[in-house]
Amino acid sequence: MKTYRFIIIFLFAGFAMQGLAQDNISPERKQAIDSLALEKVRDLSKYISLIGDKDTPFSEANRVIDRAVELFMEGSEVGVSSLYREEINYYQVREYLERLMRLNYSKVDIEWYKIEYVSDLERQPDGTYVGVITIFQKFSGYDKEGGLVYQDVTKKDITVYVKRKETQIAGKLIGFWDVLLGDIRVKETTKQ
Amino acid sequence: MKQSTFLVIIIIVIALFPVYGQNTLGSITDDETDLYAQTKQVNQFFRRFNNEEDKFGNRYYPGDSLYRDNAFRKVYLEMLFDKESPFIQKGLKEEFINEVTSADNPVFLDFHGNNWFAELPTSFKYYKKKENLLLFMQLEQENLGYKWVITNVYFDKFLKQFNKGDKEVIAGTFLHPMSHELDFMNIYKVFRDPKYIEYYASKTFKPDYRTLLFYEVKMGNMEYVSVGPLKFHFFQVDGWYFEVTFFNRPGNNSGWLISKLYRISDSEKDALIRFYLP
Repeated sequence: MKTYRFIIIFLFAGFAMQGLAQDNISPERKQAIDSLALEKVRDLSKYISLIGDKDTPFSEANRVIDRAVELFMEGSEVGVSSLYREEINYYQVREYLERLMRLNYSKVDIEWYKIEYVSDLERQPDGTYVGVITIFQKFSGYDKEGGLVYQDVTKKDITVYVKRKETQIAGKLIGFWDVLLGDIRVKETTKQ
Repeated sequence: MKQSTFLVIIIIVIALFPVYGQNTLGSITDDETDLYAQTKQVNQFFRRFNNEEDKFGNRYYPGDSLYRDNAFRKVYLEMLFDKESPFIQKGLKEEFINEVTSADNPVFLDFHGNNWFAELPTSFKYYKKKENLLLFMQLEQENLGYKWVITNVYFDKFLKQFNKGDKEVIAGTFLHPMSHELDFMNIYKVFRDPKYIEYYASKTFKPDYRTLLFYEVKMGNMEYVSVGPLKFHFFQVDGWYFEVTFFNRPGNNSGWLISKLYRISDSEKDALIRFYLP
């Protein structure tokens, strides 16, 4: 986590120097923030694949859950609905990941579509920027005989918060943009 | 002009086929044509309407050659309509597209531009019984940014409590102009029959359903249960109203699409907006 922060600081220190007094995000800076947000979403997707994988040892899966939870703002939730039940079920991020780990299939395949859609960043009243990244996941669950017993494709709309922060490096105050994930809306799009 | 539109169509059709070699999430999978075509976010609906992004969803900025390009808009707009909707007449759709992409006076959607509203179906437990309500919402500026706020509530149980009753009784519901001389000893009449109570209010009285909702929730009589399928109402194009709904279905006509389109007069527009923003 500390190394991560260090990288963030270096990535954005340059932008921050010019932008300390600036409120708006320029297209160039937006692209840099988008890349960082996408990195986090990709990390999350890797973690989800690992957590769901039945070959991942229990202790390792728990460690990955801890890492995944660190990507999120505290209190973030996952809202899940299915094709036949529009009502949304809410889970804390950790609870959602733990349920994924405990799914009762002999084998699970989690694949991700190439497409990643990144929204504009909008400012909320407290000055934090908020955006949404949309990704698509294909989930397949198999029984002991290797037969496919469940498959769905879900659209995941992931909230991204971007906040200006400051830190001291060698006595100098350096500003940087910190990116954290927030609530996720999971909508089923196809089912088999 | 026809040639350039044809060229744009070819480019966009190519764009909608799966694209390889982009930044990816790692492993992957099946045909993604539908997912590229899908208008995945309301944000993307705005960008496609205005032609503010390329075929991969990367944003165009002012100064980019294709930013808000009208020829591309014509093609994208065509794809932004629900092709199965019985509420959209082909001729009307063409008129709309021609109007918003006119060379002299093109019309663009503005995220911060007011005159668009969210309609959110919700269910609540009201005195322990499940009831459906509609919340109407709008973006509002505050301090450094924006937030969604509730502008109106539609709940038939609230609605039927007001401005109903026997016309003859209503005609007699007033406190006569000399009531003050009698220390308003007749005020009890106001509260005698709750059904007619609002007729004793000044003529500017309009029931505020948001207040009723908030009060009932505060009193513990009403408890939030869930949300239903969201839709949006747009009044940003003069002379037109359209509704945008999410279509969760396979094929390349999915996601956030225009599901209703009507030509409206200024007075109709005012009346409709008053419903969302009383």
